[in-house]
Amino acid sequence: MTQETAQHQSEQEPTDLQVDTSAQTEGPPEGGAQLTDSGRARRVLVRLLRVAYPHERFPDGPYERTAAAVEDAAHSNAADDRALTQGLAGLDRAAGGDFLALDDAAAEALLRDRADEYFFRRIRSTAAVVLYDNADVWELVGYEGPSYALGGYIDRGFDDLDWLPHPRIEEYPGEPRVELVESQSQETAR
Amino acid sequence: MTAVDEVARHGSPVEQSEPVVVIIGSGAGGGTLAYELTRQGATCVVLEAGPYLTQDDWVNDEWEAFGQMAWLDMRTTSGSWRIARDFPNLPAWIVKAVGGSTTHWSGATPRFMTHEFKARTTYGQVDGASLLDWPITLEDLAPYYDRAEQAMGSTHRHGRPPLPANNNYIVFANGAEKIGYRYYATGPYGTNATPYDGRPASIQDGFNFQGDKNGSKWSTLVREIPRALETGKLDLRPNCQAVRITHDATGKVDAVEYLDANGALQRQAARVVCVAGNSIETPRLLLMSASGQHPDGLANSSGQVGRNYMRHLTGSAYARFERPVRMYRGETMAGIVADEAKHDTSRGFAGGFYMETLSLGPAFMASFLEPGGWGREFTSWMDSYDHLAGMWIVGEDMPQPSNRVTLNTDVKDQHGLPVPNVHFDDHPNDVAMRTYAYDAADQLYGAVGALGVHHTPPYPATHNLGTCRMSADPADGVVDRWGRAHDVTNLYVSDGSVMTTGAAANPTLTIVALAIRQAEHLLEEMRQGSL
Ligand SMILES: Cc1cc2nc3c(=O)[nH]c(=O)nc-3n(C[C@H](O)[C@H](O)[C@H](O)COP(=O)(O)OP(=O)(O)OC[C@H]3O[C@@H](n4cnc5c(N)ncnc54)[C@H](O)[C@@H]3O)c2cc1C
Repeated sequence: MTQETAQHQSEQEPTDLQVDTSAQTEGPPEGGAQLTDSGRARRVLVRLLRVAYPHERFPDGPYERTAAAVEDAAHSNAADDRALTQGLAGLDRAAGGDFLALDDAAAEALLRDRADEYFFRRIRSTAAVVLYDNADVWELVGYEGPSYALGGYIDRGFDDLDWLPHPRIEEYPGEPRVELVESQSQETAR
Repeated sequence: MTAVDEVARHGSPVEQSEPVVVIIGSGAGGGTLAYELTRQGATCVVLEAGPYLTQDDWVNDEWEAFGQMAWLDMRTTSGSWRIARDFPNLPAWIVKAVGGSTTHWSGATPRFMTHEFKARTTYGQVDGASLLDWPITLEDLAPYYDRAEQAMGSTHRHGRPPLPANNNYIVFANGAEKIGYRYYATGPYGTNATPYDGRPASIQDGFNFQGDKNGSKWSTLVREIPRALETGKLDLRPNCQAVRITHDATGKVDAVEYLDANGALQRQAARVVCVAGNSIETPRLLLMSASGQHPDGLANSSGQVGRNYMRHLTGSAYARFERPVRMYRGETMAGIVADEAKHDTSRGFAGGFYMETLSLGPAFMASFLEPGGWGREFTSWMDSYDHLAGMWIVGEDMPQPSNRVTLNTDVKDQHGLPVPNVHFDDHPNDVAMRTYAYDAADQLYGAVGALGVHHTPPYPATHNLGTCRMSADPADGVVDRWGRAHDVTNLYVSDGSVMTTGAAANPTLTIVALAIRQAEHLLEEMRQGSL
């Protein structure tokens, strides 16, 4: 990592934590058409997120807000911004002009080819945090969110699993555990 | 918050020129030591780098709580561990706040085993490992374990009842039973099943990593710190980060320099200095305190400061089931299987491990399940979230001299100080144990009908150990059997850095027991006038 990036990251945001800074010095890929239409860039990004994180149950909202967060993260740094723009443009190019026209399998295959590219790794490091850090998604995956104000789960099903018997909660009442098992070789050595 | 509030002190002010016991850090080690010393009449100043947050400040939200509590100052990593790739600036998951990582901790409190204090003798020569026997034994520590369990309110101990089974435990314990394990239970666990010590019983809210707003969980924030403040003998200074320990011409430490909340450099005179900043900041501070007499860092004539960094085996396993589990409801880690916590070389490795229930919310799950992961395989796990059961694997990792905390002078933190670099490579023994443990997890969950089990790699270290290890011989380690620096008579280390080897057990009970023991020693030394 470069000293420069390191220094201005001294106070990190949670979304920065997974950022792989090791390859930043490589810089974004050179050349390539600029994706000047930012509306299109957003649509390609949303599609990319849906292909990378496919959830049939999710509406567009979570992907839209994740795309906005990915763009915000990239805007904080000129190199990242360029990498994102060029990365998305590269997808369109590789798709013969229109990434949005590809079916899921073809779109995923393009992403697989780019799994280790900086722009896509950077997108994932933001998306994995942002997509799932919101109540809209929690409900869809069956998570109930904050519980303290509701009295916790002590009276709301912390032990409502009914497809297995209730097990023992005390420690084993029989003989104590053997902590040191003498090995064969140690025994012969003695 | 006004500037006055930011530099606000808590407790009874101590003059900066008054040489007192200065404790650096207020977590498991520092907080315990502060209470044990002040309640027995010794005046202490506690310097704590983080803010004084309390139960009302905490939130039931994983990332928000993490942003509020965790130590997020810049750190760097190197070595072949996956963390260096996935979380290059987050080697450890520890807290920067009054109470230290005991505010984030979950509560598992197993003791170390007899043979684990004699790792070198028991395991023999292990290539590449710098194993050493502790200079103390389980017998030495047993009475302090009793007191630590009472302080922390460990369930299943000293007549305290077990916590009830939550959903995650129901799956876990049934699987354990089915594959022939016997030593499973909902503890020992440092959270109240029934009201104890002035704190209420758990309401099973599932947010104990986020501080536990209900106050049922032990931490030095809810127990030792307030009680130490009540003695009138403690001056607690939050938002004050120690940056250098100084010494006089005779070689005794005489003061601690620290940055206050406004970034101003301050100096507190010291009679004794006890460093308890956790195993990354403690060696960093000693290394930053290098002087003419201590050119390689304070108390580092052995060259061992920062070396032998251990983070426990770690790994997690999440199993998917046909029917719902809702593992997030209830106490996070109130489930322990101890059957594999033994030394049995027929398994192909030295040392042992515990399996403990673990649950993360979707936000943390997405980041830690398979860092960098994407695609249908990844999202299928997220889609199954409420059908998952989870466990953590915690076992002994081998100390290695090259696993090491050093100063990275190329990278500076927000104060312009060199950041700590954490270098780590797995030892083959660690890999063998982890592979075996994942397989055991597959069997356990398979026995109760798991549709699949995902093996999650080690996440940023919650257990950080060994960087100022105890040794009988000053050439082998940094501190003696009391945690006193071999090189400096009035300098002590009071946290998990002193661990000679890591054992299989979660470390906090042992850190607290060692701190209670060290307090007795310090009081005796001060009474005799030798400190
Ligand atoms: C999520 C999570 C779950 C855990 N679960 C368990 C468990 O179930 N069982 C278990 O045994 N352990 C558990 N742990 C580990 C446990 O929290 C630690 O082992 C323990 O708190 C370490 O104690 P310590 O005194 O070494 O450091 P800490 O408790 O981390 O305290 C160190 C303190 O020192 C401060 N500090 C550092 N440097 C400076 C400086 N230069 N100046 C001033 N202050 C400084 C820090 O801000 C911090 O407050 C868990 C940890 C986490 C994060």
